[in-house]
Amino acid sequence: MLLEIKNLHATVGGKEILKGIDLSIGEGEIHAVMGPNGAGKSTLGAVLTGRPGYEVTEGTVLFRGQDLLAMAPEERAWAGLFLSFQYPIEIPGVTITAFLKAAVNAKRKAAGEEEMKTSDFLKLMKEKMAFVQMKPEFAKREVNVGFSGGEKKRNEIFQMALLDPTLSILDETDSGLDVDALKIVADGVNALRSPEKSAIIVTHYHKLLEYVQPDFVHVLKAGRIVKTGGRELIDAIESKGFDQF
Amino acid sequence: MGHGKYIAPPKGQYQVAAGEKLELQFVVLPGESKDIEVTVDLTGPGAEAHLKGLYLCKADEKVNFRVVMHHMAPGCHSTQLFNGIAGGSAQVSFNGTIVVAPDAQQTEAFQENHNIVLAETAKVDTKPQLEIYADDVKCSHGATVGQLNEDELFYMRSRGIPESEARTLQMLSFLSPVIPEGREEEIEQAVRSL
Repeated sequence: MLLEIKNLHATVGGKEILKGIDLSIGEGEIHAVMGPNGAGKSTLGAVLTGRPGYEVTEGTVLFRGQDLLAMAPEERAWAGLFLSFQYPIEIPGVTITAFLKAAVNAKRKAAGEEEMKTSDFLKLMKEKMAFVQMKPEFAKREVNVGFSGGEKKRNEIFQMALLDPTLSILDETDSGLDVDALKIVADGVNALRSPEKSAIIVTHYHKLLEYVQPDFVHVLKAGRIVKTGGRELIDAIESKGFDQF
Repeated sequence: MGHGKYIAPPKGQYQVAAGEKLELQFVVLPGESKDIEVTVDLTGPGAEAHLKGLYLCKADEKVNFRVVMHHMAPGCHSTQLFNGIAGGSAQVSFNGTIVVAPDAQQTEAFQENHNIVLAETAKVDTKPQLEIYADDVKCSHGATVGQLNEDELFYMRSRGIPESEARTLQMLSFLSPVIPEGREEEIEQAVRSL
């Protein structure tokens, strides 16, 4: 099992948001987590990546057999975890190139490998930017500064492709995207599918799931997973909403 | 006068005549306590002065800036940018005054002082002041005292950049407009020591 979440409870500002999540993700699986606003969808991604301000009060999370909750955010990234942010952060003064070069080399260093040669890194970056149809000049732009909503989301998928994670969590990556951008995101996710790699697609509507076929669909409501099934759940949600659960 | 760009001594009085340009750069490295007092008189039409300062404190340093920019003639232009980082129990004060004399019309004068505080025990006191006696002027001043942005920090860490490296990247980007040319590596080393 790649990820095993057991009875996960978490609070934000003293308020309990996750109230006992159980979720297991196997290798090569794509799981959709759907739920209404306020269900705890973003909190789940934040807790799994170790965002400050989110306190785990109960439960365990194992990632490739390791205690994920004991690891620093950067250690989780080195282990192969990636979060596509719902609201990507702007970093004034730091270019995309400097940012990702630091990220790639930190991971290599942690694995006892040598730093990547700059020419190799630039080549890799160019290839992945073309893959998400980002213009090459974005490499010199400050991270997310002045980007449109769609450009920010595309930048997240670009980073995902470049960092090549084992488990990607896409937090509402489809929100605010037009159809073309949505297809680019979907192509990105589909291209990364492999027998070893998994993804959790967190969303409150079905749009992205028309292009990416999930193996499992979970309904998250009031901090708990209340229903698990296959594609048929997406159709049920589309026709009758979340109140039926 | 023909001043080049150089690291200015801590105390100085400068007169800049018509059409001339003064550029001063101040650097205070960790471990140094300094009182910097500088007065610039723009005495002739079209004179220019551009001041930049960078300061880094990590222990119990005391760093004081007192800058007076005096626009005495019409059509002069001055800029000031001072960015610093204070950690430990350092005490930093910045007193910057722009004076625009009654006949110094078409003055352009700008001053900014930005600070990042790394520890609750570090103190920064910044007081930019404007004294304007002419009416056709463009002047602005701004001062900020803040901390490293935690959201940026988490975003970088979530991509695998270790916390210390992420903080270094943040601090270097904050300082980049005031790092003197050719001293990038030295400043980077000093930032890593904070």
